[in-house]
Amino acid sequence: MAMVKTPVLKVILCGEYGVGKSSIFRRFINNTFVPNSDRRSTLGLDHFEKSYQLTDKTVKLQLWDTGGMERIASVTSSYYKFAEAAILVFSLDNASSFHVLSQHLLDIVTYAENAKIFLCGNKSDLEGSSPQVTDADIETFCEQCHNLISTTYKTSCKTGKGIEEMFTDIAMQLVESNRSRIELQTLDHDSFKISNPEPVEDPGCSC
Amino acid sequence: MDEEYDAIVLGTGLKECILSGMLSVSGKKVLHIDRNKYYGGESASITPLEELFAKFNAPAPDETYGRGRDWNVDLIPKLLMANGLLVKLLIHTGVTRYLEFKSVEGSYVYKGGKISKVPVDQKEALASDLMGMFEKRRFRNFLIYVQDFQEDDAKTWKDFDPSTANMQSLYDKFGLDKNTQDFTGHALALYLNDNYLQQPAIQTIRRIKLYSDSLARYGKSPYLYPMYGLGELPQGFARLSAIYGGTYMLDKPIDEIVLGEGGKVVGVRSGNEIAKCKQVYCDPSYVPDRVRKKAQVIRCICLLDHPIPNTKDALSTQIIIPQKQVGRNSDIYISVVSYTHQVAAKGWFIAMVSTTVETNDPESEIKPGLDLLGPIRQKFVSVSDYYEPLDDGTQSQIFISESYDATTHFETTCLDVIKIYKFGTGEEFDFSKVKVELGEEEQ
Repeated sequence: MAMVKTPVLKVILCGEYGVGKSSIFRRFINNTFVPNSDRRSTLGLDHFEKSYQLTDKTVKLQLWDTGGMERIASVTSSYYKFAEAAILVFSLDNASSFHVLSQHLLDIVTYAENAKIFLCGNKSDLEGSSPQVTDADIETFCEQCHNLISTTYKTSCKTGKGIEEMFTDIAMQLVESNRSRIELQTLDHDSFKISNPEPVEDPGCSC
Repeated sequence: MDEEYDAIVLGTGLKECILSGMLSVSGKKVLHIDRNKYYGGESASITPLEELFAKFNAPAPDETYGRGRDWNVDLIPKLLMANGLLVKLLIHTGVTRYLEFKSVEGSYVYKGGKISKVPVDQKEALASDLMGMFEKRRFRNFLIYVQDFQEDDAKTWKDFDPSTANMQSLYDKFGLDKNTQDFTGHALALYLNDNYLQQPAIQTIRRIKLYSDSLARYGKSPYLYPMYGLGELPQGFARLSAIYGGTYMLDKPIDEIVLGEGGKVVGVRSGNEIAKCKQVYCDPSYVPDRVRKKAQVIRCICLLDHPIPNTKDALSTQIIIPQKQVGRNSDIYISVVSYTHQVAAKGWFIAMVSTTVETNDPESEIKPGLDLLGPIRQKFVSVSDYYEPLDDGTQSQIFISESYDATTHFETTCLDVIKIYKFGTGEEFDFSKVKVELGEEEQ
């Protein structure tokens, strides 16, 4: 099934309910912001693909949101499958959303073994002068988890600051680290997606 | 939890997840609860391997089994027919995007102590060692008849009315012997027993057509199997439900289904909390007083460090032992998947032998199946009761699914879901209507 096509890289959002994952998702889709998280605005939206033109290559990031499953239950393990990258999101104005990240990190390394992991402190507009989560806290966390975190970003979905930069950087890093793997995958990939059969064209009359 | 819902779904097995997804998509406010900490109930794939050993009270696996979390072991063995109802459901709901599949490599049938490949087209039929030379001709004519058969064109029926005449008379029309009838009815039409012989032939013709249409989709065999195991299926439908606003709760015991006037359901209680609802959809384990035991199914999970003998080292396969071959009333099924599906560590195979229980010694009933597998490294046997609901649920608005039967594919599973959906919503389930687009637009 070898095909030359733009590689599509699955990127998943992880983290506590209410840290702004759906807001990041919405910014990614159409660069808008809806205050007071209105679930309805992403209702029925599963994932979204966007192309990133890098110096010598185009890739598509396919961003997935949790669908709110983590609100009371946990996210299904299949959410993590086939992910190339995971963004661990916490809220800069909420220390507890930061302190539970190790649990989410554990889920990622368990179910999405090969994913590159990124850390995103959202709501930077609310950070203020005495931040709930300091840069030192973040640094300590990254050290504690054996440098599994590739890069840390700070974003604000409210203002849009840092969002596009984050995704462009993630696209670049994925291409760098996955170059050989992406190529290998397009060659050696014998499982497939199922779809409707190609409509058989009616040959009609041969005259 | 203290809110009001259109429907509360109990249990996250495949049937309940499909229903939950379809209800959410149709705009219903759904609360979906499972008493377990994980998704999937009986249709989960167990991971890591240590968990499976613990579940059956076996000592922990040694290091030869590789990494525990490379294993995802199904509890109920089933395969998807490539052109079957579940595939249609997956495509129309868009859930197919969460899954990747592999084609099952071979389909075999047992005859006289050994296994042979199931002949599926005229060419294979002529080469098959299942039949003698003259029988092959007759079987070929039969296959051509079924292939050319059109339900809406009586000319193709060839002076035989399949809606009134039974299957036995169609076999007789082509002069097929008992052996050929056996593998046609059990390995192609996938009947569990021989009751079909006395039923209208049209049903069997449809099933053989499903088999050959499925085969035409992805080659090799008519069966598909999802990467990472069957447990991915309920999860996919659960996500569909969540995306359409369904709320999920795991690890939540259900203490009572609260009834109101006229025995109609009004809510579900867990501890001191009550969630109100108009309807409940659930599996039999949540309503033991509203179901009856119909039969028992035995399933034996076998871990092997080699492929199944005489299957050309196939990494996945299905073997059917027709009832008559071993003097039974129902078939024995073997399904084999392996590391190539990310359900076992490198080099390992999982074979599952199952059948409907007929005696007081179910373990010896599956022996003919176990004998085909070669050396078995580890074996886990379970005998489970098969329940069906006492009524159709329209009175109480509690809609109960049947337990998973011994069939090796999902056709009966989907028929049950469609039936429940109809009783629950009053609407016929229309495949063309559920076609939803999940955020497909691109910039």
